[in-house]
Amino acid sequence: MDKYIRNIYKGVYTVLVGMRITIRQFFEPNVTHQYPYEHDFEKKQNVREIPKGYRGQLYNRIEDCIGCKKCELICPVDCITITGDKLPKGEQLWDSMNVIHLKDGREIIGLIEGEDKKLNLDEELTITNITSRQGPQEVIDRLEQSGDESRTQTISGSEVSRVVTRNPVVFYLDQFDIDMSLCMYCGLCTEVCPTECLTMIDTLEGIEYSKFDRTDLIFNFDKQEMYGKDETDTAEAAD
Amino acid sequence: MSDFFSDGFFKNINLQDSSNWATDFVQDVIIPRLPEAVAGHFSVELGTVIVMLVCAGIFVAVVPLLPLVLVLAERKVAARFQNRTGPMRVGPWGTLQTLADGLKLIFKEDFIPPQGDKVLFLLAPYVIFACSFAVFAAIPFGQDILVSDFNIGIFYIMAISSVIVMGVIMAGWSSNSKWSLLGSLRSAAQIVSYEIPLGLSILTIVMLVGSLSMREIVASQDGGIFTWIIFRSPFTFIAFFIFFISAIAEVNRTPFDLPEAESEIVAGFHTEYSGMRFALFFIAEYANMFAVSAIGVTLFLGGWQGVLPGYDFLGGLPGFVIKTLGLVFLMMWLRWTLPRLRVDQLMNLCWKYFIPISFFNILGTGIWGLIFKEDDVWSIGISCAIIYIALISAYAIAGRNLARRPEPQPS
Repeated sequence: MDKYIRNIYKGVYTVLVGMRITIRQFFEPNVTHQYPYEHDFEKKQNVREIPKGYRGQLYNRIEDCIGCKKCELICPVDCITITGDKLPKGEQLWDSMNVIHLKDGREIIGLIEGEDKKLNLDEELTITNITSRQGPQEVIDRLEQSGDESRTQTISGSEVSRVVTRNPVVFYLDQFDIDMSLCMYCGLCTEVCPTECLTMIDTLEGIEYSKFDRTDLIFNFDKQEMYGKDETDTAEAAD
Repeated sequence: MSDFFSDGFFKNINLQDSSNWATDFVQDVIIPRLPEAVAGHFSVELGTVIVMLVCAGIFVAVVPLLPLVLVLAERKVAARFQNRTGPMRVGPWGTLQTLADGLKLIFKEDFIPPQGDKVLFLLAPYVIFACSFAVFAAIPFGQDILVSDFNIGIFYIMAISSVIVMGVIMAGWSSNSKWSLLGSLRSAAQIVSYEIPLGLSILTIVMLVGSLSMREIVASQDGGIFTWIIFRSPFTFIAFFIFFISAIAEVNRTPFDLPEAESEIVAGFHTEYSGMRFALFFIAEYANMFAVSAIGVTLFLGGWQGVLPGYDFLGGLPGFVIKTLGLVFLMMWLRWTLPRLRVDQLMNLCWKYFIPISFFNILGTGIWGLIFKEDDVWSIGISCAIIYIALISAYAIAGRNLARRPEPQPS
C-alpha cells in the first residue's frame, strides 16, 4: 500500500516537473529565421564569422582587368566567357596610372611622382593627377569633373598597403560573363589572375545570392559604358 | 402525407406534449404565418422535423470549422513548445495553413486497398465522423444553445462516443494491413479500458447532482466558482483528473496515442486512408478533442456558468469556449511533455490505479452525500479546505524532494 501511494505521488510529481519544464520553453523566444525574407545577419543572432578567404561569389573589378583570358582557360567547368577586341592602333582608353591601395581600405587613383624609381614606402609619396579617391567604379565620372585643386596629394608611405600600376588600356571587353550556376568554387581563376581583379567575395553577400531564375545567376561584368562605347557608337562605326 | 406524419409514425413519440423548443417554434412562429392553402397540409410534427433538419444542417456545417481552428492552434502551440513559429507562409502568420492542407487532401488520390473489405473501408470514416459529431448534440454551449436536452444527456454522450471504437476497428480490419489491424486492436483495448474510469468518475457527478441531464448538471453549478463540481467535494476534485486523463486516452492523444503510434505502427488504423477520407479521421480526432474538453467543462468546471454568481464574467458561450480551449491547451501541453506509454503501462495505469481510485471516489462521494445532505457553505468550505491542505502538503513534500534532488535542466 505504501508503494502504491508512493507510485501515485511519483507519477503526479514527475508529470508536473515535466510540465514545468515545457511551459518554460513555451515562453522562450523562438529561434526561427524566416529565411528568404529575413537573413541571419539581419537578426544579428547566431551570426558566425565567415573565415577570411572564403570562396563565395566571383567578382571581377573590370577596371583592373586586362582581358588576358587566363581565368577562362583555367576554369575547369568553363563558367567564364570573355570576348573582347583590341582598339585601333594609337588609341587608348586612358593613360597609365597607379592605383594606391591604402591600409584603411581607401583607394587613390593617380600618378606617383618619380615613378621610374623603385617604390620606397619609407618616404613620403606625392601623387599627382588624382582622378579618383574611392572605388574604381567612379573612374569615368571623376575623369570628367577633374578640378585642379585636389589633384595632388602627399601621403606617408606607411599608409600604403600596395600599389598597382595600370597600363594604358588598348582593348575593350565586350563580354565578361561568369555563370555562377556552373561555378564549382575551386578558386583557380582568382589564383591565376595577374592583376588580382578577379576575386571571391568572402562576405555574406557573396554567399547568399540565390535567385529564382537560373539566368539571373549569370553575372555580367562588362561595363561597356566604361570605355565610352555605347550602342549608338558601335552602330555608327558599323556604318 | 401529412396524415402519415400526424397520425402514424410520430404518434408514439408524442412530440406534442414535450417541451421541445423546435415544436414551440413551429407552433408559435411558423404555423400562424403560413398561407391558407399550405397550412391545411402542414402539421406541427412535419414542421418540427424540418426545423430540426435545418438546425442539424447548420450544426454540421459550422462544427467542422472548429477542427480547422484547432489544427492550426495545435501546430502553433506545438511550435511554441519547441521554440519554433509553426506555419507562417500561407496567409498572415500562417492562419490559412489548415485550409491549404484541406484543399490538398481533397485533390489527393482516394486509394482503396484492393484486398481489403471495400464496404467497411468506405463506411469506417463516416462512422467515426458521425459519432464524434453526434456528441455535440447534447453539450450545452450556453444557456439556450443546446441542440437537444436529453434527460439522459451524459449517458447518451458516453454511449455515442463508445461507438467510435467500432469505426476504428472497421477501419483497421478492412484496410488489410497489419499496421492498421494492430492499431485498431490497441485502440479497442484502450478505449474499452478507459471507458470504465471515465464512466465511474462521471458517476460521482451524477450521484452529487442527481441527474443525467446536461442542462441540470450545469444548472446545479450556478453559484460561482466554488459551486463548480470540481470543488464540491475532495472526491470530485480527484474525479476531474481521472476524467481528464481518461478522456485523453479516449481520444487517442499523446501520451496515450498507441493506436496511431507513428514510430511503431506507421499511422495505426488510418494507415491506408488517403485524401478526403483521411481528412475525415483528422477532423473527427480534433472534434473529439474539443468534445471531451467541452464535456469536462460542463461536468466539472461549471459549463457556461460564470466565475462569480450573478455576473456574466467568463460565462455564457464565450466563457464556455474559453474554458474548453483551456482544457484543450492542457491536452496539448501534456502532449509535448510526456512520452508515449507502453501497452502494459497503459493497462497498468487504468486497471491498477484509475479504477480503484474511481471506486474509492464513488464510496467517498456517497459518504459525503450522507454527511452533507445539501450543498451549502459548510460542505463547500470543508471541501475546499481539504483540497487546499492536500495540495499544500503535496507541494511541501515536493519541495523537500526538490531540495534533495536537483531538477534536470533543459539543455
